[in-house]
Amino acid sequence: MPGMQLRICHLYPELMNIYGDRGNVITMVKRCIWRDIAVTVTDITLGEAIDPADFDFFFIGGGQDREQILVCDDLSGDKGQAVRQAVEDGASLLAICGGYQLLGKYFLTYTGEDLPGISLFDVKTVGGDTRFIGNIAVDCEVDGIRAQLVGFENHSGRTRLGPEARPLGRVIKGYGNNGEDGTEGCVYKSAVGSYLHGSLLPKNPRLADWFILRSLRRKYELEELPGLDDALENAARDAALQFTMKEKRFRKRFGR
Amino acid sequence: MKVSLSVAVATGKILTALSRRLGFGAGSNFPGKVILRMRPEAPEEIASRLTGGCVLVSGTNGKTTTSNLLAGMLRASGLQPVHNKVGANLMTGITASLAQASDRRGKPRGDIGLFEVDEATLPAAIKRLTPRMVILTNLFRDQLDRYGELESLSRKIDAGLKGLSGGSCILLNADDPLVASLGGESTARKYFYGIESEDIGEIGLRHAADSKNCRSCGEKLSFSAHFFGHMGKYSCPNCGLERPAVDFAATRVELKGTAGSRLDISTPLWNLALNLGLPGLYNVQNLLAAVGGAELLGLDDHNIEAGVEGYSTAFGRGERIPIAGRTLFLVLSKNPTGFNEVIRTLGTEGRDLPIVAALNDRIADGRDVSWIWDVDFEELAPLARFIIASGTRAPDMALRMKYAGLDAARLTVEGNLKKALDKAIERSHEGETIYALTTYTATLDMRRLLTKIGVAAGYWEAN
Ligand SMILES: [Zn+2]
Repeated sequence: MPGMQLRICHLYPELMNIYGDRGNVITMVKRCIWRDIAVTVTDITLGEAIDPADFDFFFIGGGQDREQILVCDDLSGDKGQAVRQAVEDGASLLAICGGYQLLGKYFLTYTGEDLPGISLFDVKTVGGDTRFIGNIAVDCEVDGIRAQLVGFENHSGRTRLGPEARPLGRVIKGYGNNGEDGTEGCVYKSAVGSYLHGSLLPKNPRLADWFILRSLRRKYELEELPGLDDALENAARDAALQFTMKEKRFRKRFGR
Repeated sequence: MKVSLSVAVATGKILTALSRRLGFGAGSNFPGKVILRMRPEAPEEIASRLTGGCVLVSGTNGKTTTSNLLAGMLRASGLQPVHNKVGANLMTGITASLAQASDRRGKPRGDIGLFEVDEATLPAAIKRLTPRMVILTNLFRDQLDRYGELESLSRKIDAGLKGLSGGSCILLNADDPLVASLGGESTARKYFYGIESEDIGEIGLRHAADSKNCRSCGEKLSFSAHFFGHMGKYSCPNCGLERPAVDFAATRVELKGTAGSRLDISTPLWNLALNLGLPGLYNVQNLLAAVGGAELLGLDDHNIEAGVEGYSTAFGRGERIPIAGRTLFLVLSKNPTGFNEVIRTLGTEGRDLPIVAALNDRIADGRDVSWIWDVDFEELAPLARFIIASGTRAPDMALRMKYAGLDAARLTVEGNLKKALDKAIERSHEGETIYALTTYTATLDMRRLLTKIGVAAGYWEAN
């Protein structure tokens, strides 16, 4: 697709990259290159300003408490507003785990730290005394991504959706947003927040392509993307789905 | 159920023998679990009878290599260490090793305890074993799905070190900003080791770097030399925090690929010129830790030299095994930093390499395999003639290689390790080296397979 360009903004790559989150950016880049779409990745970190018009896709990964505090502070002013503005203007965005939490209304950590978010997503997060850890499978409910998503979650935060919020999907196996209401993640316009590491996009190529299509439509008239050979991607996803579901049966049988 | 020490020890020995015969290997936790159930204070009781006390070696990477090197030096000095050799590094494994080394009344046949200890187990092990020395190699983001976050882990280790008595000492890796910051509140004496030679450093941090912000003020650290991961010579431009002065230093490092390295090492007492038969800078640090430990335990330079010379590779960490006219080079590669070091070492071996990469997700490997996306496989892809992805998560490994730039013609998915090895032999030439990069339990699987084929002895029988 010569002549097309996708501009990626990788937020806080060295602070917010836990459990291989950068695999999501690698996947976006490769799936553009394979389609002959020009792609740029710009790393934006503490103290660097953002112009909402400069980027088509934003990515922010997960981080540890210490890093989250630094990032929360950095996002609190114009920068957070710029990210919101970009999404309002049609840019797409993926936020994983700690990044997802900071893009909601607030994250109240288990140790009592109050981290205000940028309120892109209508969600509130409170830290719990145990971590939700394990393989997770989700029925994605977003238009254009009717697929099962697989990943690995590892978080102490319990996230509750507000009245305005739509979930990314329903948990088939695992904990998701809070381990209680069966929801996982949040979608607003072309922005997605999720607890799925894994990395998420490599094994869920339809979601990756959804982001690429949404990002390009901001600038170009485009019905759909040319297909790619996703045999390996689908095989890896199916294998992960299979043993994730097996774990569920195992747990049920032993009454956990 | 509470029994006498001798009954607990005898039961432990029987179970250890049994689990070996059943092929669970010596790393099995089961015998230790039973001993602790039967007599919870058994490890304290046996350890307190070691005349030379206990030394604990902990950290994410390099525990086994460091403690094996130090064990060799101790033996060279005529001491007999009681040592948990095969990665049995939880309290259960340490307990089983202590019982295994004891006579019927629980009196150890050995002079000094030398235990590699899992990072998360270290505080408990300090409490139980009252060590005279704790060596900390490094702390990386490894298997965090088991331990929670690095931050809380280092807080717990710090609390553990606080419990050391004033007569004991702590030996820390100065190149690791997180490790170097530990032990501040402990009354034990602190010593540091590190690489002083700067010409082997890399420019710029790689992706796997974890602790690159200042421990006291949060500012980004600046590095004048960078070795690997988050290791290097650093200082904080904001608050002035400095890398501590080093007691045991590698002043010259000449890396020679998988053949190892030549080193000049300077200590408070000696200048040593050593040949280390282990690849990579990470093993230079492991050697420094062992040299420091040996000197602080009162060994002399001849013991240190003899220990390094007589060192046979720690289980699985860079073993060369002849098979079907080829050499299988088996390297444990279990986390981003370790893997990146291995890839860097392979870069000195040439191009066109036959490679098997086996990824398992059993509990000992960490159930979460996301970490493969933090490995710079983009640098491995151009080195490979082919890569066969194997292990319980073979499709994930293959997918990572695809996105790292390996084209389909050079990439094979074969979950079964035996078949993967067969294919690698078939597709390589006589006399060639096949590189097997395997996670922890995949390394065990590979060794078991090789034993079965008859090309390698069971690892618990080695040495
Ligand atoms: Zn500082």
